[in-house]
Amino acid sequence: MRTVEEVKATLQVAKLDAAELQPAVHCLSFRDGVSSGDYCLMELDETLCKCIESGQRLIIRGDKEEHAVLCNNDKTYDLKIADTSNMLLFLPDCSTPDQLPSNPSTGCLIHSEIYGFANSYWELRRTRPKLKKLKKLLMENQYEGPSEEKQKGSDNRKYTMEDLMDSVQASEQEILQQLQAMHAYKIEGCWRILEFDYEMKLLNHVTQLVDSESWSFSKVPLKDCLQELEALEPREMIEHCLNCYGKRYTDEAEEVFYDLNEDEVCKATALMLLQNAVKFNLSEFQELWQQSVPEGMSTRLDQLKGAALVDRNSRPQVISPLKVEDLSENTQERFNTLFNIRTKWTEEDISPYIQDLCGEKQTIGALLTKYARSSMQNGVKVFNSRRPF
Amino acid sequence: MTERVHDSLKYPSANRRDDGVVAEWLLMELQGEIESRHHIGLAGNLMGDLHYTREGVPILIIGHHILYGKVSHLERPFAVLVKHSTSKETSESRLQAEIPGDGNSVTNYLVTALIKKKIIFKTRPKPIITNVPKKL
Repeated sequence: MRTVEEVKATLQVAKLDAAELQPAVHCLSFRDGVSSGDYCLMELDETLCKCIESGQRLIIRGDKEEHAVLCNNDKTYDLKIADTSNMLLFLPDCSTPDQLPSNPSTGCLIHSEIYGFANSYWELRRTRPKLKKLKKLLMENQYEGPSEEKQKGSDNRKYTMEDLMDSVQASEQEILQQLQAMHAYKIEGCWRILEFDYEMKLLNHVTQLVDSESWSFSKVPLKDCLQELEALEPREMIEHCLNCYGKRYTDEAEEVFYDLNEDEVCKATALMLLQNAVKFNLSEFQELWQQSVPEGMSTRLDQLKGAALVDRNSRPQVISPLKVEDLSENTQERFNTLFNIRTKWTEEDISPYIQDLCGEKQTIGALLTKYARSSMQNGVKVFNSRRPF
Repeated sequence: MTERVHDSLKYPSANRRDDGVVAEWLLMELQGEIESRHHIGLAGNLMGDLHYTREGVPILIIGHHILYGKVSHLERPFAVLVKHSTSKETSESRLQAEIPGDGNSVTNYLVTALIKKKIIFKTRPKPIITNVPKKL
């Protein structure tokens, strides 16, 4: 062990005046058996630092072929190794000047060990959750109704929240939000999405009942719906359908009502009409669509943002189904696909298909500047691929 | 493969202090590399003396070199992680059981400490000249 005398002698040789220095000295030595692989360093942001301090768990997710991400409860981060040419030493019991004892009476030695060292660390960058896999997993075994379920038996793949969190690269909150957006439902502990035709069947039951009872779309009573429809479908599925297409509220008499969302109902109806079509004559479609929605609801093309695409340049004008959730999550691949579908896009047309690619503080304009080239066509600004075609 | 980073609150470890606060370590950043004399390895060896001036400037004496540094607050703090292989340690098998699915490939990292401050030595080390030749 190094002594006070040795430290003093070194100071003398170094021509440093002990009077200029604080009396406490750290003698640093490497711990026995120290090696660079003992510890990893991970750079945090303020949020993650607080998570750790409050005792939350962070999880690293990814299959072997995927790029690892780190999630806390509600955010996802890309994980990357950063190398540095500097040597980073970890000192568990070393004090900064402000932490040292202030009484300058006697010199004291603090023997502190270097616990480990590194010349790289993990860098984190906030990223969009990768949720496409979620739909892929749930599509394997969609829910088609109670009788079909019985026929299928129990050997079909089902996923609990834990299963999903193990394979989807997103945080728990992000997964839950997406499940809600996909109208998924938890059946016997496992998350399922409804087969589209079955979901439409449920919605039709509800809208037909609203029509025959002459209820207002903004005041659909849960109790009566369940009573009237339980002979046709399970009560929980009727309620789930109401939750997906309406906003639940309670009136003064504590009765539960739903305010049906016109846009959502119209969009679902359009998707049903378009589901097997490649193209649809636009004016014929609009007429059929309006006839298909419940009486009193009105259809508007902007309800189909991110679900269908109108081609105004063809004669006659046509509409085709194009769902944003079917496109790649990778930004470059997404743009490649979009420019394959159409070589020139207006900002209005392309926006619904790239909106979800925007990172934190990133705008659609910035994305277009990076991934597309703009030009004027008949006085309208259009965007095409940066790659030669 | 699923790897989990958790901290020592739920899975007690000596590194969380009695008051429940995650330990805080200090980082020292040196330019270049440290090698031991005669290449005997660093483990167990003295590195040097760390002094602070009255003004709080860190001074590190390593061998025949003096380095002047700076204490700085990290804008982005670090977590110091230790990898735990679940298959080897029986104490961790409890954790493995909590995770359904492919529990075999679960790796845990324990947050041993947080680092919020570092001492960085950016300037070139100054040599200590011990044998000053006398005037001729």
